[in-house]
Amino acid sequence: MSPAAHALSSDATQIAVGDTLPMLTRSITQEMINAYAEATGDFNPIHVDPEYSRTGPFGRTIAHGLMTLAFVAQMLNEWSDGRFDACGEIDIAFVGPVFVGDTVEVTGSVEELVARDGETCARIRLVCRAGERQILAGHALQPIENGKS
Amino acid sequence: MSAYRRYDEVAVGDVYPAEPLTFDVSADVVDGFLSATGNDGSLYRERSGTRRAPSMIASAYLIDLLMARRSPPGGIHAKQSIRFHRPIEVGEKLSIQGTVIEKYIRKERPYVVSSFETRGSDGTLVSSGQVTSIWGKDL
Repeated sequence: MSPAAHALSSDATQIAVGDTLPMLTRSITQEMINAYAEATGDFNPIHVDPEYSRTGPFGRTIAHGLMTLAFVAQMLNEWSDGRFDACGEIDIAFVGPVFVGDTVEVTGSVEELVARDGETCARIRLVCRAGERQILAGHALQPIENGKS
Repeated sequence: MSAYRRYDEVAVGDVYPAEPLTFDVSADVVDGFLSATGNDGSLYRERSGTRRAPSMIASAYLIDLLMARRSPPGGIHAKQSIRFHRPIEVGEKLSIQGTVIEKYIRKERPYVVSSFETRGSDGTLVSSGQVTSIWGKDL
């Protein structure tokens, strides 16, 4: 997260700490992973080669981490009416793999309002899970104006 | 010489590639990305002759960038930070370059941390951030 970000002392917007963001859900198939590989050029065998992946750390193929992050960005854009694309920020760690057959759920909650480069931003704790498994951990920062994300 | 770099050949300060690589934000790339991620694309339809592209098309140009490091296959993306500085449009040509800023071993896994910047053809900053990867097993 930008080192310039720090907690605001006043409630400058209508967005409230504790607000919950919409949930986005995606069911993962090998065909989806393969399509993502085609779209991005990432043919790492841990994603697209079941034979290679059988001897790897997960014993099977896993989805691309950046594909999961694309779901996060999509959810943030839906919440912010597309403003995430213009000025949003994400800082995450991939903490668990996504497997074929998983249903990935992505959401978040406004943890605090902070200032970044003179702008008021919502600092959002991201939630991304597949069943009970946590997939990624981290935060997003989204500038807000007049109480609208 | 191997097509891949060994972990001990990676050094803090390495800039890759030597000259920024270019990435065309084509309609085909955007459509493929939206389809693969189940995005109906409602935000990205042409309006008034221009068509916005999703910011996370970054996942395509970042892969191009990471390939320029020549890590062996099997590497794992561990952490990602990215800040978007302005929206991008279909038809833009972006340039991307990365720098290795840290490397370390943790739990016997070799990590490499890189910073990157992406700029438009007019030189304006499009995105910046850091990628932390577990290096692929040396071949």
